[in-house]
Amino acid sequence: MANINLDSIKERTFDAIVIGSGISGGWAAKELCEKGLKTLVLERGRDIKHVKDYPTTNMYPYEFEHRGEMTYADKQENPIANRCYAYREDSAHFFVKDNEHPYIQENDFDWIRGYQVGGKSLLWARQVQRWSDFDFEGPGRDGFAVDWPIRYSDLAPWYDHVERFIGVAGNRDGVNELPDGQFLPAYPLNAVEDYFKRVLASRYTNRHVISARCAHLSQPQPVHIEQGRVQCQNRVLCQRGCPFGGYFSSNASTLPWAAKTGNMTLRPFSVVASIIFDEQKGQAIGVRVIDTNTKEETEFYSRIIFVNAAALNTNLILLNSVSNRFPNGLGNDNGLLGKYIAFHSYTAVMSAEYGGELEYRTDGRNPAGGGYIPRFRNIYKQETDFLRGWAATFSATRNPASNTSGVGASLKEQLLNPTLGNWRVHSHMMGETIPKESNRIWLDGDRTDDWGVPLLHIDVAYDDNDWKIQADYFEQMTEMFDTAGFKNIKTRKDDRRPGNDIHEMGGVRMGLDPKTSLLNKWNQLHACQNVFVTDGACMTSTATQNPSLTYMALTARAVDHALDQMKRGDL
Amino acid sequence: MQRRRALKHLLFIAGGMVMFPSCWRDQRKSSIALSNLHINSEEENLLAEIVGSIIPESDSVGGKGLNLHLFVLKMVDDCHSEEDQHVFMRGLRAWNREMKNFSGSTFVLADPPQRHSYLVTIDQDKAHPLSGFFAITKRRVIQGYVNSEYVMKNEVIYELVPGRYNGYADA
Repeated sequence: MANINLDSIKERTFDAIVIGSGISGGWAAKELCEKGLKTLVLERGRDIKHVKDYPTTNMYPYEFEHRGEMTYADKQENPIANRCYAYREDSAHFFVKDNEHPYIQENDFDWIRGYQVGGKSLLWARQVQRWSDFDFEGPGRDGFAVDWPIRYSDLAPWYDHVERFIGVAGNRDGVNELPDGQFLPAYPLNAVEDYFKRVLASRYTNRHVISARCAHLSQPQPVHIEQGRVQCQNRVLCQRGCPFGGYFSSNASTLPWAAKTGNMTLRPFSVVASIIFDEQKGQAIGVRVIDTNTKEETEFYSRIIFVNAAALNTNLILLNSVSNRFPNGLGNDNGLLGKYIAFHSYTAVMSAEYGGELEYRTDGRNPAGGGYIPRFRNIYKQETDFLRGWAATFSATRNPASNTSGVGASLKEQLLNPTLGNWRVHSHMMGETIPKESNRIWLDGDRTDDWGVPLLHIDVAYDDNDWKIQADYFEQMTEMFDTAGFKNIKTRKDDRRPGNDIHEMGGVRMGLDPKTSLLNKWNQLHACQNVFVTDGACMTSTATQNPSLTYMALTARAVDHALDQMKRGDL
Repeated sequence: MQRRRALKHLLFIAGGMVMFPSCWRDQRKSSIALSNLHINSEEENLLAEIVGSIIPESDSVGGKGLNLHLFVLKMVDDCHSEEDQHVFMRGLRAWNREMKNFSGSTFVLADPPQRHSYLVTIDQDKAHPLSGFFAITKRRVIQGYVNSEYVMKNEVIYELVPGRYNGYADA
């Protein structure tokens, strides 16, 4: 260290460090920079500039060598990535390849990762629903995990704040289980989605079909135009990156916004190996970064650190941040770091046909994807033999399709003249999973990746509650489809592995008691308060909602708190 | 003659995709670079005729005119298992022998109605020895055709930027 002069240390010292540039890291960067903090944003992957680095974004299907399909060799080499629905020829460059970043599966677990600036915010499904108190109060009421240290009222203003900035298309549906927000006009349901909504409303008191709420600019506001984003053009090619900025991503929105303040330093190719804890000061003082190209190690320093490396990697960094004070990982006094990992169970799919509403068809594409059925099981009280429940998508389509039977002139004629058949309806389940100690991750004692960082063991599995939820989904949806007069109803058990939902959460959970949780109600490590964790790792339970909106709101709230504490001299 | 004309252009357009010819003077090899399949020019020409019969020329261009046989080769070469590739190659090589049993003529020399009834027979008989080959070929021809630049720009228009969604459009 002798050759490092003071100037060099000064150059490597910031007010704040953000680890990760994905959906929550981007928000941390924006909020910190806006509030005047010199902020270093560390990203392990390469830079992806909005539009400029979306190489496939304007390509037609015939311009792809394999028309979108992944090759057989790629499927053999990258079975994990290939099991992700979005991993296709137009988007494969935004996914981690299996053998470049190995991990150890104690049970089958698909760890889907996007190592680049923007992370998985380029690839996400863009569905955004608020949590309600029925979710925050779940663990306390039902006796699993630990009680959340916050309630809906703590987060509501931050949901407002985030929704206004990212742009969320939705209706004010007045459903208690899914609080309304600051919405742009919704993408309306189509004829059969509306029909199904009416059927459920007439038959049940608590089952709703609403327009799926999505982070798309259905009607851009000045704040979106200021970000350089314009109206969504219904391409639904989002996974390529959107040249219109029609959907929210770090790349299109928070990162350029943060950069504009002049306060952000973005450093790609920088993998954080660990957080440096200063025993004298009793707090974290910076991070150890390994340049992914040169493998050189550099330290960066700051007053506060936001860990937004994506749920499992955030766990990994903390587990790998050992010191005399924290021999088992930063903030890990109770031994619970890396435990109580949970996810969403996406193991059930339904389809059917409907022969009504045939005077209508769908035209163009719906970026929201259709309808959403909020959880209706066990809302006000426990009423089934399983805990919690499921939400579901519900969508209907009626596009001209070609008959591919036969050969010769008739086949050609059919292909050139697609016809309208019945409506096709689809649904998939999004089940809440119960966090438990046995679903956990830990570091390997010997094996490391190419950058000297220990490999992660992942031991996460479904449990009996998940299968009961699956059975209930099939039973209830079948009954609802039947009631609606849908025909050819098909249930399909989706044998996807945990992780394939790409909603892995927990390991660094929030809670009131330092003995049973890692983070306090402001997302600070109980035992090292200038370190904040606001990505999926902080989640105490999973609810059924798509989680990204909640990560973003928690992040903005935590930054606000950090600033308050810094002003008061507490941080 | 057709082949010679195509070679003059040096580049093939297979369903809108540019493909670079490899060793185009060599009759023992295919006109595009393949990693796994070993196809000679005779087999390639035969595949072109099959493809042209699955989607024939009419007042609009067909499978042969769009060079979809090259697309089929590309996809079978890159996107199918070794097992599929064996099925494909065995089927292609047995094609004329089966055709002779069927009509007494090779496929290339047969007239269009003969070719068509041969294809119909194989298409409908899942137990036919060429069924596996034909299923792979037909699937890839259809994929290449409906996703071709020609069809997407002239026939069933593909919109890259729809700019709209209507869930109550008139049927």
